[in-house]
Amino acid sequence: MNASMIVLPVALPVLTALIALLGGRPKTWRRWLVGISATIQLGVALALATCAYQMPPQVLGLGGWAAPYGIVLVVDLLAGIMLVLSSITALGALLFGFAELPVKVENPLRLPLVQFLIAGINLAFCTGDLFNLFVAFEVMLIASYALLTLEADDWDIKQAFPYLAMNLVGSTLFLVAAGLAYGMFGSLNFAQIAERSTEMAGTPQLTVFALLLLFVFGMKAGLFPLFYWLPNSYPILPNPLAALYAGMLTKVGVYVLLRIFGQVLPPDMPLLHTLMAWMAAATMIFGVLGAVSRNFIRSILSFHILSQIGYMVLAIGLFTPYAIAAAIFYVMHHIIVKSTLFMVGGTVSALNHTDDLGKTGRLWLLTPVLGVVFLFQALSLAGLPPLSGFWGKYMIIVEGIRQSEWVLVACALLAGVLTLFSMLKIWNGAFWAPKAQDGVYLEDSRWKPMTAVAAGMTALSIVIGLGAEFFMRVSFEAARQLMDRTAYIQYLLGGGS
Amino acid sequence: MMWETAILIGLLFGAACYLILQASFVRILFGFILLSNAANIFLLAMSGSPDGKASPIVQEGRGPMVDPLPQALILTAIVIGFGVIAYLVILLYRTFLDQRTANACELFETDRKRPERELS
Repeated sequence: MNASMIVLPVALPVLTALIALLGGRPKTWRRWLVGISATIQLGVALALATCAYQMPPQVLGLGGWAAPYGIVLVVDLLAGIMLVLSSITALGALLFGFAELPVKVENPLRLPLVQFLIAGINLAFCTGDLFNLFVAFEVMLIASYALLTLEADDWDIKQAFPYLAMNLVGSTLFLVAAGLAYGMFGSLNFAQIAERSTEMAGTPQLTVFALLLLFVFGMKAGLFPLFYWLPNSYPILPNPLAALYAGMLTKVGVYVLLRIFGQVLPPDMPLLHTLMAWMAAATMIFGVLGAVSRNFIRSILSFHILSQIGYMVLAIGLFTPYAIAAAIFYVMHHIIVKSTLFMVGGTVSALNHTDDLGKTGRLWLLTPVLGVVFLFQALSLAGLPPLSGFWGKYMIIVEGIRQSEWVLVACALLAGVLTLFSMLKIWNGAFWAPKAQDGVYLEDSRWKPMTAVAAGMTALSIVIGLGAEFFMRVSFEAARQLMDRTAYIQYLLGGGS
Repeated sequence: MMWETAILIGLLFGAACYLILQASFVRILFGFILLSNAANIFLLAMSGSPDGKASPIVQEGRGPMVDPLPQALILTAIVIGFGVIAYLVILLYRTFLDQRTANACELFETDRKRPERELS
């Protein structure tokens, strides 16, 4: 396998976006182009992940510059897994968007912007350089600002403002953190930071640096005190984009937390890990309470993103190889389930012309397939065996019990029960309520392909649940590669061969 | 140079935070502009004290040079910051046109009603 293939997950979306921009008005060929490109991206991501599973991480020095001087792209197993997940979500969201809107009424900028967003996300997964990570985040965020406001109406647009403001503050602090890293370690390369920070372990400077990074990426991921921007801004997105955002954007924050705290910074920072675990517990509880209090499907689901982020970050905070593997497994499960649930929410609002649970209803009688899809994913989110969510929660709670963190375990279990409760609320409101206020628009046949896409994603998540052994083995291998810091330093600085 | 730079950066961050926490859109906007400049100067300070060093232009027979890498980083950061600030200006302007207010507190009042559209 050729190391230069690593550039494809970034280059392909950019290229597709540029060609799609040339198309000007929305046309059918543009959809084919973007759809085929997304399929190829999935293929490339799968190939990279398979390689990373069997072989040491692939390193590519951009422009032929070797590791400490140039910018490197690295694909290890964790990055490979994330690439596969982002390609799957992107493909699913695109197909869902094609099913939802006829070509003529599609906004001409939507497809190119989605491709730029994917390019930014993929670059964040591949990069081995802190400043390059900042650039990747900015590419991703600028595309996400644009998509957020592109199709928002006059009233909803104000919700974009907190999103923008919080992320601007976050980006500025990220820049400051990058500067600080350069000042402290004399390098921005992950491997060199890892090497030099080991000698500084325990010093106050390193703690401040780590806290700054925790603040920045915790905010991007939606951790407890910093999550206000998320649940209000996601519901204003068009449905397919909401599915993509819900699946991927916060998980980029989780991925970077895994990468930075699991690999780049030295492992002996117990205070910081404890802080992370407690922030995560608070996120779980507040997120799920927010979800219980809402009455719109997409608001409920947006709050659930937060509480689920709590589980993943809790696993990172427990910080053992087993817990890190649990976090990786949870990310795999969560991205698929969450984006499918947003698709179901979108289909419900297409059928009822609203997603207000007071006004929806009767869907179990009229569209049982959609009901089954929702049921599988909702129960998986709540963590009922043998669905994928169960295994993720099981691993995290086992690790919590092993470390005798009883309060954290209790929070995780309570959040699970409340998740089930709020999912039942959607079930009662949208599927079992005896009558919908404005009736059900079954003659609007868009719901059939929309349900089909959601069903495809559900099949995938059932595969993760039933084939959990394989996916766990992959997660354990990814966690092992992540925590093997000496090997990582060797590969990165060993000349990119 | 070190202390002056540190105080300047501190002042800029403080002023930026103060402005961002105001309610008026214009002040928030200026706050973000100051914030990105404060971060840029912070980056510049990371190249160390420039005393007795030449500017980073390679010529024969010159002494030690200032570390050029932070300057390259700032260039990238300025470009990105410029783009985002331009977007922020447009977003605030559109919010002002749509919602008829330039005050962030008014904008997020919970009992605020959707303004009636003018018939044109």
